[in-house]
Amino acid sequence: MRRHGRQPRGGRQPLRLRAFLLAAAILALAWDAGSLVRRTRRGPWRVEVAGESMVPTLRPGDWLLVDPTAARWPRRGAFVVVREPGSDLIVVKRLAGRPGDRVARGDGPPMVLGAAEAWLASDAPGSAVDSRHYGPVDVDRLLGRVALRYGARGRFGRVR
Amino acid sequence: MSRLTSWLRPTTIAHAHCDIPCGIYDPADAVLAARTVARMVELIGKLPEGATSVADRNTFARCVAVKEQHAEKVKLEVAEIWSDYFKPEHLAAFPDLHTKVWALLKLAGKCKQTVDAQAAADLEAATKEFADMFWATKK
Repeated sequence: MRRHGRQPRGGRQPLRLRAFLLAAAILALAWDAGSLVRRTRRGPWRVEVAGESMVPTLRPGDWLLVDPTAARWPRRGAFVVVREPGSDLIVVKRLAGRPGDRVARGDGPPMVLGAAEAWLASDAPGSAVDSRHYGPVDVDRLLGRVALRYGARGRFGRVR
Repeated sequence: MSRLTSWLRPTTIAHAHCDIPCGIYDPADAVLAARTVARMVELIGKLPEGATSVADRNTFARCVAVKEQHAEKVKLEVAEIWSDYFKPEHLAAFPDLHTKVWALLKLAGKCKQTVDAQAAADLEAATKEFADMFWATKK
C-alpha cells in the first residue's frame, strides 16, 4: 500500500547500497572497538601456564583467555596476570587482597593495602613466589584478568 | 586439527613458578645438623653404663630425639640441594655426585638407627664434602 507525501520505507535505496551501509557501519564499530581495546590493552590476551604454583586449579600447559583491558584489581579470588616485581616476568597469581584490605605479612603486624595495591597468593602449598616474597603489588603491574580456560582438552571452563 | 591447535596456542607464557630464584641454597644447615648428630652420639656415650635415674633417662631420651631430628634434617637439606640446585653441567665437574649423595643419605639413615660414633663421623665428613662440592660450583 502506498501513501502520498511519504517515502515508502526502503523503497528507493537499492538493497546493495543498504547492505553496504550496514557493513560499513559494523566495520566502523568493530574498528572503533578494536582500537579502544588496543589503546586500553595492557598485556597478552591468551597465555599458557608454566610452573606448578597454582596447582591444582591451574596446571602447567593450561591455556587461559585473559581480559587485557582490566585496569583495576578485580574481585578477591580472581586470577590475574601481572608483571612480577623484581623479575619482570609475566606471572599468573590469585588475588588474595584488594586495596584497603588488611593482610598478614609474615610474622610481623598486619598491614593495610594502599589504594592501588593488591596482595597476590599461590594455590599450591609451600614456598611459591608471591606477595609473601615481594610484598604488595601496584596496579601498574596488572596486565589482565583471567577470564576463561580454553585448554588443555577437557579442561575448558571458568577458573575459580 | 594441528593447524587449529597451533593457531589457538598462546604465544605468551604466564609463569606460576615455585622456586625462589637463585641464591638461597646453603649447605651450612646440613653441616650443622651432621655435627649435631655426632655430638649427640658423643653425649649418649658419656652416659654411665646401666644408668637408670630419671635424669639420665631423660637426657638419653632427649639425645636420641635430637639425633633423630638432625639426621633427618641432614637428609632433607642435602636431598633438596641435590635435586633442586645441582644441574647436569655440575655433574661434569663431580661425576660421582649421585653416588656420594646416595651414600650420604644412607649414612644419615644409619645414624638414626644406631648409636655409632664411626657412622656419625662419616656422616659429618660426607656432609662437609657435599658442602665443598656445592661451593665449588659457585666459583
